[in-house]
Amino acid sequence: MKRSILVVAVLLVLSVAFTASANTLTVYSSVDEENARAILNAFTKDTGIEVRFVFLSSGPAMARIEAEKGNPQADVWLGAPSENHVTAKQRGLTQPYLSPNTAALDPKFYDPEGYWTSFYMNPMGVAIHTGWAQRAGIEMPESWYDLLKPEFKGEIQMPTPQSSGTAYNLIASLVLAWGEDEAFAYLKELHKNIQSYTQSGTAPSQAVAIGQAGVAIQFTPAFLQLMDEGYPLKLVFPKEGVGYEAPAVSIIAGAPNFEEAKALVDWLISVEGQNKLSELKTFFFPVHPEAKTGEGLPSFSEIPTIEYDAIWAGEQRERLVNKWIDEVLRGE
Amino acid sequence: MVSTPAVGRKLRPILDDLGRLLREPWLLVAILLIFAMLGIFIALPLVKVVQMSIASDGTPWQIYTNLFKSWYMRRAFTNSLLMGALSALTSVAVGFILAYTVTRVNIPFKRFIDMIAIIPIISPPFVSSLSILLLFGNNGLITYNLLGIRNFPIYGIRGLLLAQTVTFFPVAYLSLKGVLEAINPALEDAAFDLGASRWSVFRRITLPLAIPGIASAMLVVFIESLADFGNPLVLAGSQFPTLAVQAYLQITGMYDLPGGAALAVTLLIPSITAFILQKYWVSRKSYVTVSGKPTRSTVKAVGPVMRWVLFAFCMLVCLVVLTFYGVIVVGAFSRAWGFDYTFTLRNFGYVLDVGFETILDTLTVAVTSTPISGLIGMFIAFLVVRKRFLGRSVMEFTSMLSFALPGTVIGIGYILAFNQKPLLLTGTLTVLVANFVFRYVPVGIQNGIAALHQIDPSIEEAATNLGANSQTVFRRVTLPLISPAFFSGLVFAFVRAMTAISAAIFLVSADWNLMTVQILNQVGSGRLGAAAAFSLLLVGIIVVAIVLIRLIVDRLFGVRFETRF
Repeated sequence: MKRSILVVAVLLVLSVAFTASANTLTVYSSVDEENARAILNAFTKDTGIEVRFVFLSSGPAMARIEAEKGNPQADVWLGAPSENHVTAKQRGLTQPYLSPNTAALDPKFYDPEGYWTSFYMNPMGVAIHTGWAQRAGIEMPESWYDLLKPEFKGEIQMPTPQSSGTAYNLIASLVLAWGEDEAFAYLKELHKNIQSYTQSGTAPSQAVAIGQAGVAIQFTPAFLQLMDEGYPLKLVFPKEGVGYEAPAVSIIAGAPNFEEAKALVDWLISVEGQNKLSELKTFFFPVHPEAKTGEGLPSFSEIPTIEYDAIWAGEQRERLVNKWIDEVLRGE
Repeated sequence: MVSTPAVGRKLRPILDDLGRLLREPWLLVAILLIFAMLGIFIALPLVKVVQMSIASDGTPWQIYTNLFKSWYMRRAFTNSLLMGALSALTSVAVGFILAYTVTRVNIPFKRFIDMIAIIPIISPPFVSSLSILLLFGNNGLITYNLLGIRNFPIYGIRGLLLAQTVTFFPVAYLSLKGVLEAINPALEDAAFDLGASRWSVFRRITLPLAIPGIASAMLVVFIESLADFGNPLVLAGSQFPTLAVQAYLQITGMYDLPGGAALAVTLLIPSITAFILQKYWVSRKSYVTVSGKPTRSTVKAVGPVMRWVLFAFCMLVCLVVLTFYGVIVVGAFSRAWGFDYTFTLRNFGYVLDVGFETILDTLTVAVTSTPISGLIGMFIAFLVVRKRFLGRSVMEFTSMLSFALPGTVIGIGYILAFNQKPLLLTGTLTVLVANFVFRYVPVGIQNGIAALHQIDPSIEEAATNLGANSQTVFRRVTLPLISPAFFSGLVFAFVRAMTAISAAIFLVSADWNLMTVQILNQVGSGRLGAAAAFSLLLVGIIVVAIVLIRLIVDRLFGVRFETRF
């Protein structure tokens, strides 16, 4: 026992000694591991700035940044939809930096004070397992209302807005497009065809890939990734329009490496940085109008989108989610 | 005047305890050290979380009353209790039958059953749930392809109970096997010699002697089920809310740290109730069976028919487990899991490329925390059962606490507690190791306590009378006697260090990342094959480690426990 305590002591000293290295940017990435690695490696290659990162999906990342407020451990929060960064701004977790490169972007992609900057976007999509559709003799749905047909009963998976920003985005988009009453009437009808509301925003894509569900609703990158791996999926954008997310980057308040963090923000929304999104096969849509769209991706302008208001959505979140729990979920 | 002798009577035992401790400074230092560690790594984070759950303004309980006004949270509470009770029953039933068969019945393939039964303890989050879907889901191998059932309702309580039973029965198996091995077969032999039937020997001797072990196994599974969120996250969906998941979602989905903390504190009520119940029940039913006399036996505990029934049951369990993991193996070597089963090695290439450092990190964390956790667990069990000192029950209670808390809250508590000087530990190896040691040490402690209750203190007393101090008694007598419990404590600590995620997800850093977190990320981004390959690697590492731990424990304490006396 004494020996093992000694080992711990040695490891403790070593681990403390190795944590502190100067001028290395530390990133909390809500962009998935592989894409974050590819994007950040390209950044290091272009600028010579070393980066360390850890993947944390948006909820844990926010909880972590909030808990570490007194002594920030990271410089940058990379990824997670912009409304999360709006919340982070309101809670005083981030600091402003308005990059000169935002001049080329649509104003909806950055905070006017510079607290956050969106650097890619993803539309919501509906994916259908083609094998299932063939066996069941299903016609490809073209509108949101097609999903209410009885042949979809027990076949649709979508995330729950209780835990997933993806699902909340869907609800908020429909409310914006149709008004609250029609949107909730629709969601109540849709509830009858739902197989399961998943906790994770990306779980429906796995279920539809393996044929557990016939239909999945979520953001497109995981669908495109799975289709690229060969899963038999068909991606549909309902004609009434779909919402989209615009994941952003923020610099954490009290970041130890502010200069390097600013360089990352600049690079991410530069044309070079934006072109990397398609070169690295991330399946993300660039926000810079002059950047290339990736191979196999439809042009963003061809997708019928619903204009999204991240600030309004952030304010209404608690009310709409509770309404969804009481009216839609309880209706079973 | 009357009260003075009464006070004296109360004070005397305490003073006696203190006097004994002062004669053994080593023991006193060890006790103080354990108290300090429990205070820092269990009580402090918990206090921080409770602090967080109580509103700072005039209405401290506002958060709680708001939460329980919601029908949804009330349903989560009842669902959690229901799941915990059902899982405890099914898991302990399966675990006990397996443990009994392996220790009491003469059947072939015991080693094989032993290995297979341990495997499901290694359930990397999300992946075993995915294999349930692949087997029993709408497009499932068994439900759809074999039986032709589409729309088998796997979501909700059915799927969850299946997943939790498969995940938690090994916990019961490991501890009950330790307990059954420690029951002296001479008692059963004696009953047979006196003409008792097989059934009455089982009912009146074996089962009552195993009751403390069964109770503690049930307690452990009940609490684990309450705190489980990996399985319900995938299989329960929103229609079947559970408290641990809601606590996690409140923090990570609604960004409501105080609300999540309050839900988790609520979760403590059934956990602590279970703990207290078990403590009184078990302590009243403790029997001594290891007394230093010969324990070799050739008992025929079951008849030939029962023998084959039990054997068939074990094989069925093995088959289920192997199918679960077979699906993962297939996935790891397939081009597109669930769809295109062309053989490929690219998933492993990807995993070794992207995840090599993480694998090394994970191994470092697990290898560091396992022996510490195992030794501290047995030592606390030794102190609690065999030593008398002020605060003994406080020590037992505190050491159990972290296990009853959902990992999410421990993770948050650790960040809150260890992000300031002088305890600036976030982002280091230390914080991960401390988390694993103190979060999973209760299983070792419970096993140790159950095993120690089976051992007559007279053996240790004899050593003490011959001049050995507490240190020597613990190292040379107690530890070898409870080596099966020590072994299962070590295995459990290692496995959890490799597979736990709920607290770890808040503690990993750019320097120290863990494989489970990587698996979660791969599943999340749709790389199912990579997730399967990662999981397979994880399972492989753990199997190798269990064999190594067994070899080391056997080498240290004699080949088999039974043959030592």
